[in-house]
Amino acid sequence: MDLKGRFTRGGIVFPLALIVVTTIYLAAAFDIRTQFSAAGDIGPQTIPVLTATLMYVALLVVLIQEIRNPPDGEDEENSGSLLRPALVVLATAGYIALFRPLGYSLSTLFFVAALFLVFEFETRRPVRFALYALAVTAVFYGLFALVFGVRLPTLTEGLF
Amino acid sequence: METVLTLAGGFGALLDWTVLAFMIAGFLVGTFFGAMPGLTSVLAIALLLPITYTIDVIPALVMSASIFMAGMYSGSITATTINIPGAPSSMMTAIEGNRLMKQGKGANALGHAALGSMIGGSIGAILLMAFMPLAAEISLLIRTPGKFSLVLFALVVIIIVDKGAIAKGVVATLLGIMLATIGIDVLQPIPRFNFGTETLIEGIDLMPVVIGAFAVSEVLIQAQSWRSSFGIPDADAKDLGIRRRDFIPPLSEIRQIGLLTYVKSAIIGYGIGILPGAGGSMAAFVSYATARSSSKHPEEYGNGSREGIAAAESANNSMCGGAFVPMLMFGIPGDPTTAIVLGVLVINGLQPGPRLLENQADLLAPMFASLLISALVLIPLTLFLFGPWFVRIVSIPKGLLYSAIAVVALVGSYVATYSAFQMALALGFGILAYIMRRNNYSTVSMLLGFILGPDLEQYLRRSLSLNDGNPSVFLTSPDSLFFLAVTALFVYAILIRGGKRAA
Repeated sequence: MDLKGRFTRGGIVFPLALIVVTTIYLAAAFDIRTQFSAAGDIGPQTIPVLTATLMYVALLVVLIQEIRNPPDGEDEENSGSLLRPALVVLATAGYIALFRPLGYSLSTLFFVAALFLVFEFETRRPVRFALYALAVTAVFYGLFALVFGVRLPTLTEGLF
Repeated sequence: METVLTLAGGFGALLDWTVLAFMIAGFLVGTFFGAMPGLTSVLAIALLLPITYTIDVIPALVMSASIFMAGMYSGSITATTINIPGAPSSMMTAIEGNRLMKQGKGANALGHAALGSMIGGSIGAILLMAFMPLAAEISLLIRTPGKFSLVLFALVVIIIVDKGAIAKGVVATLLGIMLATIGIDVLQPIPRFNFGTETLIEGIDLMPVVIGAFAVSEVLIQAQSWRSSFGIPDADAKDLGIRRRDFIPPLSEIRQIGLLTYVKSAIIGYGIGILPGAGGSMAAFVSYATARSSSKHPEEYGNGSREGIAAAESANNSMCGGAFVPMLMFGIPGDPTTAIVLGVLVINGLQPGPRLLENQADLLAPMFASLLISALVLIPLTLFLFGPWFVRIVSIPKGLLYSAIAVVALVGSYVATYSAFQMALALGFGILAYIMRRNNYSTVSMLLGFILGPDLEQYLRRSLSLNDGNPSVFLTSPDSLFFLAVTALFVYAILIRGGKRAA
């Protein structure tokens, strides 16, 4: 795999992103103020600063390894398109946003239907598709609300 | 005597029909998750974690133990029948079991796997119960500097066991430690890394990390390399010609394997279980290799060795008992499953350590009993009742399965605090874990860094504070020196000596 390929796959982007995160973390660590300190105490900022420093070193090693020894092609976990995971993330984000406003039943029904579409499950048989989506929603309503007594949000709660 | 009564009380607790139902349900769920390629018992317990907010601690622990034991055993089912290990710990069983399957002796292989799991799991559980009072006394001897060195030992071992990706292991562990520092400081009442928001002052809860790292990321990984089924023809999954009577291994074969192989493998598995980061796969591999080197029939290995199956399965199930030791003694989980069980304890306000073992052993005894009963009774019973249909598990449509897992994971995240923020965190950690897994960073190291990070910081700061900031306390304190020496020994054995051998 060429450098560009590894860059887009994440082999280099991910440690670079972590360097940015570590820098933000380190800057915030220097802002931590100790309330009290006795002789021999190490303050609440010491471990975060130490962790961030070690993180820089480890990330540097990872970056050198990624550049020097590119992985030999894609393993099974890394093969395939990113479209499906992106669609799953999108559907999940929508589910979380609608969970309280629409209530468990409707939002879960839409979420399950969206996942069925992404996973191409029974998409050619609409009746089965609908029945399975209803069944999954109902089964987990039964499990959480009826068996474990969890108070799940309802549509009316979200509207009023 | 008191210990015996407490343990007897643990078995008595299993007679309560609610607790019994949770144990059986846990075992069946664990069997399903362990047998299904791609799903693991860790995922099953991760999905259970939110439910523990709504049930008592005893059924929650009992259920966790039965899931753990079932998940370790049931990986052998698909490993034997279709040569796809349901769990990584069943890799060695796949080598031998599937050979027997191809020779038309699949039921016999499943029977040996179940017998090995039953004996190993039982020995592991008995050793756990027998040594728990001693473990409690030993843990009382470890002082703060020693605890720091012990946590450091655990983190170092977790990183170095994956020799091929040590730098990435360090990154993942440090990432976990960084996440754990968000919130109120471990010793002073000051918030850290909340970035001006109130939501982060309390820190990040274990649950969204666990659900994200193990459930959401798994759904995303599966979505990426999507295949609607496991690629096993329906006919293969439906008709394997397995009969119940063939599950019982003939006495002559058991004699040939020998009681010593079972016991030795179980002790190896238990010992490896105590080590942080080692887990069922290493237990199975080491025990298999040991059995092979001392076997009277080494030529059978690779061609359907029943002894190999017995050694691997005894060890990985015995590992379950060993894995509980460091978690209960010091709150140091050696693997993700016990890390989540630690979460169950903490959610219920229980702090692992000698006091828990001494004063609240009545809460732990049913969990120990559940480990033993799961191994001794439920493994053979489940094989006998459901064995002929086991392989049909893989005919379940993956689209339906992973959609259901996504719903349980997200609604489960909501359950803990009735907040959509937890669901968003679970999604966020799921995306992070997905990126990590794609790039070969260990999510287990991140989880253990997250759990052990606060302990590491607290013990370090307390030790230095009590010794006027003098770091030599870690070398002058005998318990600390012991753990530092053990750490150095492991680094030498795994990295330096292991590296030379590989070269």
